[in-house]
Amino acid sequence: MDTVSLNLASLTLADLESWLDNASFAVLFVTMLAYWGGLAFENVKILPVIGGAGMAIGNLCLAALLTARWIEGGYFPLSNLYESLFFIAWGITAMHFVAERMSGSRWVGAVTSPVAMGISAFAALTLPDAMQVSEPLVPALKSNWLMMHVSVMLLSYSALMVGALIAIAFLIVTRGQAVELKGSSVGTGGFRNRKYQLKKAEPVSPQPTVSTEKMTLSSSGGTAVLEAPAMLTTAVITTANAGVKTEPKTPATVLSPQRLTLADTLDNISYRIIGLGFPLLTIGIIAGAVWANEAWGSYWSWDPKETWALITWLVFAAYLHARITKGWQGRRPAILAASGFVVVWICYLGVNLLGKGLHSYGWFF
Amino acid sequence: MLLAIKRYFRKDLIPLLADLRLAIALLLAIALFSISGTIIEQGKSLAFYQENYPTEPALFGFVSWKFILIAGLNHVYSTWWFLAILILFGASLTACTFARQITALRWFSRTWNFYSQPRQFGKMALSTELEGYSIEALKQQLGDRRYKIYEKATEEIAQETAQETTEKTVEETTKERLEPDLINHEAPKMLYAHKGLVGRIGPIVVHASMLLILLGAIVGAMTGFFAQEMVPSGETFRIQNIFEAGPWAAPQVPKDWSVRVNRFWIDYSPEGRVDQFYSDLSVLNDEGTELKRKTIHVNEPLRYKNVTLYQADWAVGAVKVRLNNSPVFNLPMAPLNTESGKLWGTWVPTKPDMSEGVSLIAQDLQGTLLLYNMQGQLASTVREGGSTQANGVTLFLDEIIGSTGLQIKADPGIPIVYLGFGLLMIGVMMSYVSHSQVWALQIADRLYVGGRTNRAQVSFERELLGLLDELTASDSRSQPDEPVLAAIASTQ
Repeated sequence: MDTVSLNLASLTLADLESWLDNASFAVLFVTMLAYWGGLAFENVKILPVIGGAGMAIGNLCLAALLTARWIEGGYFPLSNLYESLFFIAWGITAMHFVAERMSGSRWVGAVTSPVAMGISAFAALTLPDAMQVSEPLVPALKSNWLMMHVSVMLLSYSALMVGALIAIAFLIVTRGQAVELKGSSVGTGGFRNRKYQLKKAEPVSPQPTVSTEKMTLSSSGGTAVLEAPAMLTTAVITTANAGVKTEPKTPATVLSPQRLTLADTLDNISYRIIGLGFPLLTIGIIAGAVWANEAWGSYWSWDPKETWALITWLVFAAYLHARITKGWQGRRPAILAASGFVVVWICYLGVNLLGKGLHSYGWFF
Repeated sequence: MLLAIKRYFRKDLIPLLADLRLAIALLLAIALFSISGTIIEQGKSLAFYQENYPTEPALFGFVSWKFILIAGLNHVYSTWWFLAILILFGASLTACTFARQITALRWFSRTWNFYSQPRQFGKMALSTELEGYSIEALKQQLGDRRYKIYEKATEEIAQETAQETTEKTVEETTKERLEPDLINHEAPKMLYAHKGLVGRIGPIVVHASMLLILLGAIVGAMTGFFAQEMVPSGETFRIQNIFEAGPWAAPQVPKDWSVRVNRFWIDYSPEGRVDQFYSDLSVLNDEGTELKRKTIHVNEPLRYKNVTLYQADWAVGAVKVRLNNSPVFNLPMAPLNTESGKLWGTWVPTKPDMSEGVSLIAQDLQGTLLLYNMQGQLASTVREGGSTQANGVTLFLDEIIGSTGLQIKADPGIPIVYLGFGLLMIGVMMSYVSHSQVWALQIADRLYVGGRTNRAQVSFERELLGLLDELTASDSRSQPDEPVLAAIASTQ
């Protein structure tokens, strides 16, 4: 009797899992269409709302799936490719919310949802059933470090991927333009654009620079650029600033904040999300190194997986340094970040194609 | 001569090493060469490379086994040129830390970054000018957002500027000198507020901790050793099979103690899968007295005096058998090369002149041996504690003895490396924090507010505009009937 009820319980759990993985794929697919539609038809206000809701539902489905796995396997569900794929998909949807909250741009969803959808589609539909089942851990993985190391690594992959995706969005938005970057450890941004200041002198005329065009495009969508505080927008210029010396060529005008454009916002959010993923990657690699040292006596052994984690770290470190380099401003660091997307994928999956070792999740052959 | 060298260091070498483009090039070069090490198999035999990388046709026209061996691509991570890049990287890190970061920090941590001229606010993207609001209300808002606030009246700074004239360049001094018409008004007030200075310290900690890790790795490579021992259950061994040791590793190799493997066993799951490997180890002194005892398994090593013993491998070491009424024979088992997994085997004579016998084959430590006859056919199987007939002789299997494979190492660099790891983790987290600075200047009823941050421009814009919004919404204005605020968001 006992065994029957146990079987029944595990059966329903497995059913629930297969229902959840398909559901998360379907939901994320709709989410992607909604976000893309939202970009194409800016007047349809409901689309981004659907997108946001879909992302939230997808996130919860993935969380539920992983929880069911945890209950079924009895250990943190990060032992094979199937589980780690869903963890990454969950991480991307979670990071999506961080990025979307920070930026308020619908571009974030437009680039994160297809990747989240693609990962869950691959895991749910393409992976052979034999690789989807929960298996007992091999001796080397039986450690509390597993949760610490692997979860942090996968979270960092998610964050870095989202950051790299937003960099791609930035590259799309600014294609064919020269851009000045904002945000770096030395603070390259924050100074007034001279050209802008001179333009400002003509009171109401719309500014013909390309970045401003993009900005108006976004502000009509009402998301990318922050809504100016009501008091500020309704304010009126009154006093010709007596006693304030301005540069001779600039007509007397009252100082007002120069707002960030859509490109600025995307670039800065990409930088911030990568800035979030980078410490996670560092902590994940260190956790792995300490675990390796505790488990078999060497904190670094140039195993392909750890070498690629180091390569990923180096590429993003180069990105962070490129941002503070004179003569390297503009789109070039973003290109480096976007290429980081490929590097993360090689690190995560490609290495398993090359070789074996403790880091293999198992593969098709 | 010495002066010339010093001058060379100051003027040429350090600026070159501290150049960010060099740092980026080094980061990418290390990444690129590391990639080659993950594509070309490392540490294989000459025959392997000859077979896989023929000279005709060479991969991409030049990657042949000769090229690989000459360039050291068969052991990239220990070639002289890879290590040279790492050393150059360390030098660049050091130069950058001292030449750039610490100087920058000194600038940002000073408390007198006041702006006394309205035009200084014009340089900042996020700056505005308000009428009728006091600096006191702004202070309240900044305090609520946990900014650290510094204030000065212009007279004070005028004096201070005068005192510091000697230290400053002419340009800086003129910048800060007050315009005469301002001094005639009631004393203008200045405010400087910042938060997140930790974000400026973070990168310094990151760089310093990376230097620590590099140093620890060098110490480890110079003074540490690696050894491997394969020991059958029940035997005592000294650490001898050292396969990697630094030039100053000798003091770390234990000479006055040995280790006894009391027992080695494997726990199997009901499906026959390996659950865990265990070795019950005792550390013995020269008199054979037990100094320490511990059962180790994967992820749980034994530590004794800087030396650590890890469960790394296993083998079938020996079998104990009897034939009819013979005493117990302890026969060592030899590993057999097979394509499908590991096998161990030995041979037992069944005739006194050794003209006949059986082969005993074991594939694991689950207690079953396979018996093969002289023709290589499976004759029978025998369980531990049981017996079987072979060539008319009764063979008793008393025990299958496992050998434990131990990885042994000493690494005096570990404390340094771990310190570096700890600081690196703290440093990267600190580096996420954005250093936000806000300036304000009040001249009569006119309040100039401006700010900038180094990383989180989007969040800072939101924070500062929100702050100004609250400021203008609150009742802190002195003349309520006048226009609220002279500012227009540039988006409109």
